[in-house]
Amino acid sequence: MLEKVVRWSRKKSPWILHLNSGACNACDIEIVAALTPRFDVERLGVLLKATPRHADVIISTGPVTRQIKDRIIRIYEQTPNPKFVIAVGACAMSGCVYRGAYNIMGGLDQVIPVNIYVPGCPARPDAILDGVVKLLGTL
Amino acid sequence: MNDAEIIEKGKALLGDKLLEASNPAVRRIFLKVDSKDLLKAVEVLKNDLGFAYLATISGLDIGENFEIIYHFGKPSSQLNLRTQVPKSNPHVDSICAVVPGAILYERELQDMFGLVVDHIPDSRRLVLPDDWPAGNYPLRKDWKFERPLEKIPGGKS
Repeated sequence: MLEKVVRWSRKKSPWILHLNSGACNACDIEIVAALTPRFDVERLGVLLKATPRHADVIISTGPVTRQIKDRIIRIYEQTPNPKFVIAVGACAMSGCVYRGAYNIMGGLDQVIPVNIYVPGCPARPDAILDGVVKLLGTL
Repeated sequence: MNDAEIIEKGKALLGDKLLEASNPAVRRIFLKVDSKDLLKAVEVLKNDLGFAYLATISGLDIGENFEIIYHFGKPSSQLNLRTQVPKSNPHVDSICAVVPGAILYERELQDMFGLVVDHIPDSRRLVLPDDWPAGNYPLRKDWKFERPLEKIPGGKS
């Protein structure tokens, strides 16, 4: 019974953290666009949080640079369990054109576990929203 | 002042310190000096020829030597000051005494080429990550990057 309530509340209010690990800002603008009233994500309970300590879902964009690798791991560890990671954009999925560069670690999954990949360069707000909904569907 | 006048004046002021001067296109001037005369040449460019704006500094790895190009500009023309230092002893003088804004480009030169800029006011690392191993200079031609093996979550299918 209690488990049911916990799962219901988790599904109904995924608070997100917007994280940029070295992106060109295109995906970030799309994420911000997805949070506007036009797409109305609050009907799904999605709220943008300023700190990883309040967030359930990390939405991350961009390839992981060598400089930010340790910081990303730290942000991931600061997020309370259960935590989910969505990689938005081609760079966060695989490193894309930056793959193999000397200061790039590759995609986000080289550093922290990733639950959902959202393709696109940049990903459309609808696609990002779809990624969040698919994540909620797996709960 | 047109291009020919700038070159003439530069020749007169720098004398035999000026090794080469060319004017391959309109408003593009290339001067070459020895690396030990660099500071004097930059001083002349700034104070006498009016090239007060340093656009950037570029470095080139040309085999035995490094070539360093200082790109100066003023509204009427662009001037590129070239100098070379040997790879075995890569020391070049800082021009921060004349152009204080050059420090960012000089720190980047140190990071990317392993050049030693003498008398630089602040020689901390600028562009490379904090945990970068010492002695690796990405823009040198003989530097090879070995890409770490990628993890594939869930394995290859």
